[in-house]
Amino acid sequence: MTVFDSKEQAVGVFSQLFELLLQDETFSTRVREAGLSLRLVQSKPDFALHISNDGVRVDDITTPAALTIKMSSDNAHALWSGQLLMPLALATGKIRVRGSVTKMLEFQPLLQPAFDRYPQIALEAGVTA
Amino acid sequence: MTSYLDEDLDVSPDEITLTVLPPRLRELQLTVRAFAEEVVRPRVLALDQAPAEHFDWEMVQLGHDLGLTRLTLPVEHGGGGYGILGVAVAMEELASVCAGTALIFGATLLGQAPVLLSADPVLQAKYLPRFSGPKAVLACNAITEDLAGCDLLIPDNAEHAAGVMSAHKVGDTYVLNGRKRFITNAMFADFASVYANIDGSPGATGLTCFLVPLDTPGVHRGAVANKMGYRVCLGSELIFEDVVVPADQIVGGEGTGIYINIQQMNMARATVAAISTGIARGAFTIARDWARTRIQGGVPLHQHQFTARKLAEMASKIDAARLLYIRAANRVDREIPPPPYEPAVAKLFADRISVEVAEEAMTLLGARGYLRDYGLEKFMRDALGTRIYEGTPEILALAVTEAIYATDDDF
Repeated sequence: MTVFDSKEQAVGVFSQLFELLLQDETFSTRVREAGLSLRLVQSKPDFALHISNDGVRVDDITTPAALTIKMSSDNAHALWSGQLLMPLALATGKIRVRGSVTKMLEFQPLLQPAFDRYPQIALEAGVTA
Repeated sequence: MTSYLDEDLDVSPDEITLTVLPPRLRELQLTVRAFAEEVVRPRVLALDQAPAEHFDWEMVQLGHDLGLTRLTLPVEHGGGGYGILGVAVAMEELASVCAGTALIFGATLLGQAPVLLSADPVLQAKYLPRFSGPKAVLACNAITEDLAGCDLLIPDNAEHAAGVMSAHKVGDTYVLNGRKRFITNAMFADFASVYANIDGSPGATGLTCFLVPLDTPGVHRGAVANKMGYRVCLGSELIFEDVVVPADQIVGGEGTGIYINIQQMNMARATVAAISTGIARGAFTIARDWARTRIQGGVPLHQHQFTARKLAEMASKIDAARLLYIRAANRVDREIPPPPYEPAVAKLFADRISVEVAEEAMTLLGARGYLRDYGLEKFMRDALGTRIYEGTPEILALAVTEAIYATDDDF
């Protein structure tokens, strides 16, 4: 039993989450200044998001990204819901990162607005777990 | 040739050789080398032979001024923004003159690591800016205990751990009780990353990482250990008696300490391998210079075939150790969680060759190698110390073997 009913539901939730994050001035400024781009690869359901200052693109796996972050969609839900703590998720490999670790450690604290917004986004999308 | 260096650092694979580092790391290397030669070397002999409690704050302050206490901290917190490869390069330079000095700064970076890994902007704002102030500040990582060493590192061992420091939850706080041993920088650190077991969890199965300012009531700094080597840095006990720590000072949640520690350890092993490499290089340099100036049988020692063979073997081992730690550090800089295999292999090899190289260097110098005034025997004593912390050869062998049999990930 997975949290998301379909790929469309999961893509909708996480696209919206990162689009909102890109509207956060602190986050977007740092992304722009650092030239940061992320490839978020989620499984079950499977999809990828490419996130940069230009926006969020679904299933773009060809554009290079400075950081690739991989996790299951259930773990993504647990993470952004606050049920799975980031340090534990990273330490145990529930979230895996390839790219500049220095950049990842630098940008983690800037993700706070996503934690604040996710529960409402998930609720509105009908994610009930 | 495989690229061992970070693609972000603008080095093409064609440029990669043993001695070519990305420009920013090369600059760091030269800066730390100058510090080691000009500030550390003139003090080493006296510091090594001073009483165990003696500590050279002036030297630490000069290192702090250079940024050695904040190499891995984000630039926004005044840090250097370096990865583990940067730290490793700096550690080799320092250890080639004095491993104890390297460890003062290395242990501080290790103590800071949980703050970085916490991803918590509040904790980072509380603990990190102090390292970019004018006054030198140190940190430490407090995990080892009298009865518990590798039981706090190996998840399958955790239930068997005995006498582990306890954390008793009272409202929104935890009360810590217990003792930590062999903690580098404990005597002077500003704060510590402290691992304690949540009450009621068997062994160390509830191990949890707490950030604890060491001026918190109930924290006592114990006696300094009188060590065989690494005498320039101080290791001592930390004693916790009813130390009240707010719950928001936990990194990663209750019961996750062993995983936080494993992550720290896999990051640190690449840098400790660099310390061993530096120790070997320091010993080799003395032997090389001796073999060039010492005339026997009418020619310099290095023109004797037996000596030449020894020098060549020593140089080869040092180069191989350096390549292994560069590979390990670069992988650690590019993967979360950090890989267990490359850092363990690098440390296993570097620890072994540093003892071998120091021993060979001593034999080449003959009686002079045995005298404290020549500084060579210090490298031997330090090499034996590096074999212990962040994983003995036995623990490293377990890590390497586990990785050998692990199935490939599908990242």
